[in-house]
Order: sequence, then C-alpha cells, then structure tokens
Amino acid sequence: MRTGLHVCRGNWSRREEVLLTGDYTRLLPAFEQMNVDQFVLEYATPRAGDIEVVGRALAHREIGLGVVNPRTAEPEGVDEILEHVERALRFYRPEQIFLNPDCGFGCFAGRCVNDEQTATGKLRRIAMAAAELRRRHG
Amino acid sequence: MFTVTQVGSWPRSKPLLRALRDQRRGTIGRDEFERLADAEVTRTVRLQEEAGVDLLVDGEHRRDNFYSFVAGKVAGTKLMTLAEMLDTVEDKSGFEEMLDTLDVPASAISNPTCVGKLERREPLAVEELRFVRRISDRPVKVTLPGPYLLTRSMWVGAFSGEGYTDKTEMGDDVVRLLREELIELRDEGAAFVQFDEPVLTEIVMSEECGRRTFM
Repeated sequence: MRTGLHVCRGNWSRREEVLLTGDYTRLLPAFEQMNVDQFVLEYATPRAGDIEVVGRALAHREIGLGVVNPRTAEPEGVDEILEHVERALRFYRPEQIFLNPDCGFGCFAGRCVNDEQTATGKLRRIAMAAAELRRRHG
Repeated sequence: MFTVTQVGSWPRSKPLLRALRDQRRGTIGRDEFERLADAEVTRTVRLQEEAGVDLLVDGEHRRDNFYSFVAGKVAGTKLMTLAEMLDTVEDKSGFEEMLDTLDVPASAISNPTCVGKLERREPLAVEELRFVRRISDRPVKVTLPGPYLLTRSMWVGAFSGEGYTDKTEMGDDVVRLLREELIELRDEGAAFVQFDEPVLTEIVMSEECGRRTFM
C-alpha cells in the first residue's frame, strides 16, 4: 500500500483570485520530514510555481502530478498535459510519476466546482496523455 | 508508470445533494441514503473505468464534506455550521468579512467540532473502500483528512475543553485515530491512502498574498 499527502491552494471557488498563490519552497522542510511515499500536488495553474522546487528536493519520492484544473469548463489539451509531464521527467523517472487533476472535482457547501461530463472529459485527456507517455518512455 | 488517478471528490448529482441535506435534517434513514449513494458511486466508478483511470476513487459521495464527515463516525464530535461557530469567534466582523471575500456562505459549511473525548465509533472509510472493491477489479485510492487539518478544525476552545486540556493533547488522539484507520484500510486492500492537508498552504502563503481560508 502507498501513502500520500495532498496539498492544494483552495478548491471552493472558480474565481482564481480568491485562491492562494505561491510555490512549495516554504513547505519543503515539513515535506522532507513526512513519512509518505508520494506528494500529490497542484501544478496545472501557474499559482503553484515550478515543478523544480519539489523536483530537486524530493526526487527520491513519488509525485502525484496535478495536470488539469478541476475548476475550469474546458478540458486541457493532451499536448499541454504532455508538456507538464516532460518537464517533471527532468527530475523523476516515469515510474515515480502519477497523473491526476490538481484537486477533487467535487462539491463544497452544496456547490460543485464542476459537472460530471466536464470532469470525465478531463480524465479522458489525462489517460490519452498517459498512453502517449508510455509509448515514448516505456 | 504514469498511473492515472484522481484526488478524491466527484461532482454530486441533484438527488444526492438532496439526500445529503435530508440526512442532515434526519428526514431519511441511513439505509435509504446508502442505497442512493451506492448507485452514485457505481456510476462514478464506471465513468472512471471508461475514461481510462487506473487507480479509482469513490468520489466521496457519502461524505458531508471531505473532512466534516468524520463527525458521523467519531464519538466526541458535533457537526456545527460556521454560522453556529460564529458566536465563539472573537473577531466576528473579521471572520464574516473573510467568508465574504472567499465567496463562501457561513451557513453552508459544516465543521466537525470536538466536544469530548474522541473515539472511532466505526471506521472512517473502510466501508467506502469495501464497496468499490466489490464492484471493480481496479486498485482503489482512499482519501482521509490529514492530522493537521483535523486538529486545527476540530479544536474550538469553547467546546473542546470538555475532552482535552489543550489542542496538542487532542491532536495526539487525532493521530491515533488516523493510524488505526490506516492500518484497517491496508488490511482491507487499499492500494493507496492519501491524506489531505489543504490548509498547510495557508500557513506559508496567506501572509504573502494577504488571504486566509476558513478551516
């Protein structure tokens, strides 16, 4: 069984400006002490900073790479997802990388940040990117 | 390699949102709620399989929200809305302004407030895991609120003093509950257990960007 830690910058509003901004630098000392296999982190929005911050410090752990924004209406393009992953591959081996949305698609306080159809579409794009990545790096 | 998975929650249908509300009000029984939730989880699992997700989640359909749901499983807790808690907040206008800025209604968010000694009455997520394993052969990820999030949100000074002398003492019990749950989930065949700690970012980022969250 794997254990993981998920951190995000808020997922209750589609208004980007009310959510937090900053990279993971100041959390690294805490991350390093945590006894978990994987860090499941946001990387689909520029608010999360560059993968290099965690990639350099925690290259011996796994990364649950956030590659789609769960709060937008349009599914990300496969090429856009591939770009995120290729950048992460500068720090991680293929088997260390899991692909996921930045956060849940769900509801908070009775309001949903997205609908089922859009969420499914985004997952399908991630799976298409994964198939291409396995072809490239398998 | 490149395992495709999700972080946890899935959009809720109107019937499920209604059932969650009715359950809070006590107007539907547990069996009726679980029957509806079973159908919602089953649909969520099939959609993930069809989309090509390798490591499945149940969508957290059975939970009030991703951390408040523990109130239904842990003795010594009470589900309170932020509106109810407002009475205990010293800086009321600041708190209301924050909620307003965040675009979140105080009456619609529930918190699992500690009101006594904490003890698991039943597992937090073992039943969720068992159900997904019954309906699919794919590996399953289970999400749990992390120890920091739970300790920070559950401790409300005006109520939690009933069970503990301070927040640190209560936090030790939160960690014990989560360890017990983690071991049970492992023994029940969970492939992955993810702890959610969304407020860690607030501690290091809210000063810099001048915002805070409500948890």
